[in-house]
Amino acid sequence: MALCVIAGISSYGGAARAEDASAWRDIETKYIFGFTTGSGIGLEGEKEFTVDSIGRFGKRDGNYAATETKYEFEFTPSQFIQIEFGALGSTHNIGGVTGLDDRNQVALAGGFAEFRYLALERTSNNPLAVTLAVEPTVRRIDETSGERVRNFEFETTVNADLELMRNRLYAGFNLLYEPEVTQMLTGETQREATFGGSAALSLRLASNVVLGGEVWYLRHYDAANLTSFTGDAVMLGPTLYLRFTPKMFMTAAWNTQVWGREIGNPVSLNLAEFQRHRAKLKFAWEF
Amino acid sequence: MLKLEEGQQVSKVTDMTRKLALAALCALAAFAASPSQAQQATEIRLTYSNGQFQPNQVSAPADKPVTFRVKNLDAKAMEFESTSLRVEKVVAANSEGVINVRALKSGRYEFYDDFNDKARGALTVQ
Repeated sequence: MALCVIAGISSYGGAARAEDASAWRDIETKYIFGFTTGSGIGLEGEKEFTVDSIGRFGKRDGNYAATETKYEFEFTPSQFIQIEFGALGSTHNIGGVTGLDDRNQVALAGGFAEFRYLALERTSNNPLAVTLAVEPTVRRIDETSGERVRNFEFETTVNADLELMRNRLYAGFNLLYEPEVTQMLTGETQREATFGGSAALSLRLASNVVLGGEVWYLRHYDAANLTSFTGDAVMLGPTLYLRFTPKMFMTAAWNTQVWGREIGNPVSLNLAEFQRHRAKLKFAWEF
Repeated sequence: MLKLEEGQQVSKVTDMTRKLALAALCALAAFAASPSQAQQATEIRLTYSNGQFQPNQVSAPADKPVTFRVKNLDAKAMEFESTSLRVEKVVAANSEGVINVRALKSGRYEFYDDFNDKARGALTVQ
């Protein structure tokens, strides 16, 4: 990925130099890295409505497509805190996948809230910024199978980014710990956790266009305390950020699983806990 | 996967929800604490006319809060905004807006009118 981005930067070099990046406004980094979240927390007093869809596609066999969409309101009450909350909608289109019931459904899946705290701010003398975030989520529809459940998730992330070239090139890093507990209709209770991290590189091609790539390494456990490891995966793909107007933008990303393993199953890739592909498409309106 | 009795399951799930809510409240309370409020702010007065800030280069001491007083003399609204200062405020035509900024570290902080790409300025903190 890094090589591809560096090659892109090189080929783009002449055109990039032609436009003076120092004349561009600073960019909000939160959404420029795809699935990787930047450190940005918005501007005090700013409010935003976003529609953020994540699609997951491909299991070991059959047809598998599932999406979860956040209908989200976010606001920044101080220069250090951002708060978001909203509803979740989901779709599941599953046929012939081993271990999952066939399903074709659209549902209101639950709700979530997110609290973000800017722990280290970027200045013209310090290129690194770090934000800590927690996101409690409640679901009535299982993300993977689409079954009716009671699911409680508590995503905890560290979002860091680094301005490598002023107004031009950025690196993003996430650390993720996501414990969850799911109560099935059958009465079973499952505890699990996902742990991992990501690295991303994004190049600002124009004042309103950012293109990049990211890589994720994710580990899955059948316990919240990371004691029962079941498999891991590496996801890789391109990212795009596009600002249409000063108050409206979109971001898109595509990740493909390029490596994975399931403990106790000698097949390539981990398609039990993760998917073959995932995609993200987000539109935001600030006001 | 753990298999529990039904009563235990409901109790554990409720307990988990309570812990999550408590953790979120604690995090929010910690986040809300802001040390900059007690300090005396440096006041910076700007006027905005003919689509330009005057002055457009200002300075302030480090580690002290800053208050911008922006007087908009134009006949249309402007939005004082800065990504690095992390503030935005719409100032109506022929009126004044007050923008409070946290204690700042040394560095250069650009500001602009979000409605007018040509109106730019910068605050130097040292």
